[in-house]
Amino acid sequence: MLETLGLEYHYQHGKKIVFPEIEVKRGQRLLISGFSGCGKTTLLSLIAGALKLQAGDIKFDGINYSSMSSLLLDKFRADHIGYIFQTLNLIPFLSVSENIALGIRFSQSRKSKVNDLNQEITRLVKSLGLGKEVLTTPVNRLSVGQQQRVAVARALLGKPDLILADEPTSALDAETTKKFLNEMMDTFDSTKQAIIMVSHDTSITHYFDTVIDLNKQHA
Amino acid sequence: MLSLLLKSMRSRIIPTSLVTISLMASMVLLLSIERIQQGTEEGFNQSISGVDAIIGPRSSSLELVLYTVFHLGRPTNNITMKTVNDIKQRSDISWLVPIALGDSHRGFRVVATQSNYFEHIKYGNNQSLIFLNGVAFSELSEAVLGSDVAERLNYNVGSEIQITHGSVESIGSKHDDFSFKVTGILKKTGTPIDQAIFLDLKGYELLHLGWMSGKKVFSLDDIDLSSLPAGALDPKTVTSAFVGLKSKITLFKFTKSIREYSKEAISAVIPGIALSELWSIVGLVDKGFQLLSWIIIAISLIAMVTLIIASLDNRKQEMTIYRANGASPKFLAIMVICESLVIGLVAIIGAIILVTVVTYFATNQLNLALGISPSFKWISLEEIKVFGLILFAGVLSSLVPAVMVFRKNLHQTLS
Repeated sequence: MLETLGLEYHYQHGKKIVFPEIEVKRGQRLLISGFSGCGKTTLLSLIAGALKLQAGDIKFDGINYSSMSSLLLDKFRADHIGYIFQTLNLIPFLSVSENIALGIRFSQSRKSKVNDLNQEITRLVKSLGLGKEVLTTPVNRLSVGQQQRVAVARALLGKPDLILADEPTSALDAETTKKFLNEMMDTFDSTKQAIIMVSHDTSITHYFDTVIDLNKQHA
Repeated sequence: MLSLLLKSMRSRIIPTSLVTISLMASMVLLLSIERIQQGTEEGFNQSISGVDAIIGPRSSSLELVLYTVFHLGRPTNNITMKTVNDIKQRSDISWLVPIALGDSHRGFRVVATQSNYFEHIKYGNNQSLIFLNGVAFSELSEAVLGSDVAERLNYNVGSEIQITHGSVESIGSKHDDFSFKVTGILKKTGTPIDQAIFLDLKGYELLHLGWMSGKKVFSLDDIDLSSLPAGALDPKTVTSAFVGLKSKITLFKFTKSIREYSKEAISAVIPGIALSELWSIVGLVDKGFQLLSWIIIAISLIAMVTLIIASLDNRKQEMTIYRANGASPKFLAIMVICESLVIGLVAIIGAIILVTVVTYFATNQLNLALGISPSFKWISLEEIKVFGLILFAGVLSSLVPAVMVFRKNLHQTLS
């Protein structure tokens, strides 16, 4: 489904990172680990199409990113990719269900996969271990763990092919991380979506089919 | 997009409201000045019609018009009735109505004149005065009231009134030895006529029989009015005279010949010219206010752009989430432009409502202060143009933050 070919990135301050070749199949779970500054988020941004390719290419279902304009890349991201941030995943002035609905707001193809939006949001929220009542709770009253689950629900809405998660557990304690990942992975199992997650936490490697350590790549 | 935008703006309700209010207030200021100036000009211009010239003592033409037509400003000197009668004999005169001013009744000016005043003096677009109730005076003890006088003082035909010497009521200033009976009430004209009390010149002369140098010397109760010699009540002087000419072509020739009248220092003033003199003076002040209003509008627009730019940093999370979910930079830039449009439109709607309220109160104030009742439109084409210009300037200035958003790389906000 997704493969990277000879990706390199030159930062303005002079640092250059050569990324390993990556191949991700449907339903596959890939963890990219490494210490801070090793280029994890940069790689994720390149895959998300948020960062312009400098060298190398990314193929998604046979389509080269380099052949797409930035406008097409935005549309492509809306149609095929769900994104989970490290923190501050939710828009504070929107309700939980409005935050989740943002996942399909900019994609007609993902919208077409959802018959009843409210029903689908409720289903996703429940599958991630949250009660239905959370939908009407103000976002700022949710715990960080609950907020991350809502972010996962948004990324999953409309069944995008690939979920990108940028250290979604970094703000969670060990117990909550375990519970969160269990519920997230159970949901992925049922939807057969691929996930690329970056994390420096090596204790979570067993949740993933493949682990790429960017530190070793640089070494 | 609009629902997202409105929710986002609601989350920043205080700064957004303040900027909207300041923009709205500046528009209200601009439009109110414009409307009041136009309304006053229209009201003044409509206050006198059909009068070709006003003859009065030689003084400032504007002062004469303001005092005789609008009852504003300082009293002018009088002219003798002999001069007035001389002029009346001229072949180019169609009609002449003398008036004497100076007295009042409970704050309303008294206009002593002849009954042909109601026939010749017109207002608005050459509209004749109409009696709402009753008829013009025919006796020296009769009076006609303007509509506002009758309404505010609750007078009707048959009511009796006493006149005060001068324009301010004080002890001993009342002509309490003679009463006038109201015979007619004029229909509202929206001009100073509504706030005037009309008496017969002879009745006015009678009031002042026992007065010397502004003080009552003897009471009318002490004399037998029927024993007064013929012509005793013929006025000796009047304040001015309104003149209608047989042909308007002769107007400038007429005014020139009046200036050259050798027996008394008098002048003939053309009301329209005197008023245009007034507007040229007022216009300068008005232009100054307008310039100030436009500067305030510009400051408000700068404040709006500053608010949007300042909020961009706080909205980093919001923008990043939109972008990560597939929103294009164009979408976000349009959102920023729409924000300025929403602020502009809300300010415009608020300004229209507020200007209407301000205009309503201004009309009342103009009526109270100047006796004029200008008619204001709900919204004029010129005002729509002003709104359009402000909206366009708002959108144009919002391009700055819009470009900033457009050029922002998603990766910069993700990392």
